[in-house]
Amino acid sequence: MSLSPAELKAISSAAQWYARLHSGVATDADQVAWRAWLAADPGHHQAWQRMTDVGEQMARVPGALAAPALRAADQSRRQVLRSVLVLASAGSLGWLGWRSEVTRDLFADYRTAVGERREFRLADGSSLLLNTETSVNLRFDGRQRVLELLAGEIFVSTAVDPAQRPFKVVTRDGEVRALGTRFIVRSQARGSEVAVLEKAVEVSVALSQSRLEAGQRMAFGPAGLGVVQSSDASVGAWRQGSIIAINRPLAELLADLSRYRRGVLRCDSNIADLKVSGAFPIDDTDQALAALESGLSLRVTRYSRYWVHVSGGAKS
Amino acid sequence: MSANDLSLRSAVNDLYCDHHGWLQGWLRKRLGNAFDAADLAQDTFVRVIKARSALEIREPRPYLSMIAKGLLIDLFRRRSLEQSYLDALAATPEQEQPSLEEQAIMLQALMEIDRLLQGLGPKIKQSFILSQFDGLTYPQIAERLGVSVRTVNNHMAKAMEHCCLMQIRLQLG
Repeated sequence: MSLSPAELKAISSAAQWYARLHSGVATDADQVAWRAWLAADPGHHQAWQRMTDVGEQMARVPGALAAPALRAADQSRRQVLRSVLVLASAGSLGWLGWRSEVTRDLFADYRTAVGERREFRLADGSSLLLNTETSVNLRFDGRQRVLELLAGEIFVSTAVDPAQRPFKVVTRDGEVRALGTRFIVRSQARGSEVAVLEKAVEVSVALSQSRLEAGQRMAFGPAGLGVVQSSDASVGAWRQGSIIAINRPLAELLADLSRYRRGVLRCDSNIADLKVSGAFPIDDTDQALAALESGLSLRVTRYSRYWVHVSGGAKS
Repeated sequence: MSANDLSLRSAVNDLYCDHHGWLQGWLRKRLGNAFDAADLAQDTFVRVIKARSALEIREPRPYLSMIAKGLLIDLFRRRSLEQSYLDALAATPEQEQPSLEEQAIMLQALMEIDRLLQGLGPKIKQSFILSQFDGLTYPQIAERLGVSVRTVNNHMAKAMEHCCLMQIRLQLG
């Protein structure tokens, strides 16, 4: 069934009237004119009924919730559109045309969902372990082996290549070149981080370079190379399924835990700096929360599966 | 059942047997999640069955992945809305929190609203959200967006017409 031209016209007029009456400054004269229009034709009545149906649908969600939610969702979609346009005009420039988070993550070669961890064996014999919410593109060719880390965190264990092609992990912040080795790279909005577990890597950002040995880690980002720091037990504990906290502020620990679950995980500001130590399972973050609850006498309130709030308990 | 229906059924059947496993793997790689991948693979075949196009498909895998890509983007749209809804919920004061049941109903309604608004130009949508959900008057919207009151009025009329036509289309399936 399709609409007749008369029906379409009535809908168009009804929309005009609806707009006029909802201006917030409509007059009595507007009301009178609208009534006359409504009475002029049964088709007008039907079209008006459709408008009020739409209005009722809109009223099913409070404006204070609907407005920000729709705007935020819209923003990510505009990114999709922009990236599609960029790709169409520039061809597949790949790295240079840094694709939007949305499409690039969705169509990456390797990807994990929130809370997931997966291992892949690559064609050259290297192994790749993806931590939660991670996406990676693979660009192996005759000259080099490149992993594009689009988002998230990976553990790489490189294999010796008979063709001796260099092995690199590229993030939006810079490049990590493996020197026969096992290492971890993480890429997030505020910058990247690399930690070496065995042998060494060479990190380059723009024109500066630095060599990192086993047991060392370093942040790198828009500001360039960070300071070389020594690693501790907490680095890479995710490979064994846990977060190890050593005197970490609670808010930081929760932010880390929330990487492994969907939804919102927050705490009261008065306990944000509370120092926490311990090992927390990431495959069952509810268990981690339970451990916090009993170990630190905190109160964990679950408003829904996706929305959890931590506050100071009675005893603390 | 006509001969044509029979051959269509066997074509869908062949397509399913030959490519379902591949499609599920293809989706799993992109979603990183076996449950979603199984769901979307199923949905893809439902689309093929509904379109009654199985007999005309010459290159099954590009065709299936094209449909699956559309469904992936759809899923992503819903997830991104869900996440921004959760963020908006988290930002509301505790005593004004709706019950869990209300939250779920509202999310469903919000997704329907989102579908009605799909395809509207960004400026029109902006005016519409300011009027409908922020409760601003047209003069206030005009001032905020730097356009005339008349333009805001036109935007609203266009948006309502669009939503109404979308609703009719969705009701007709």
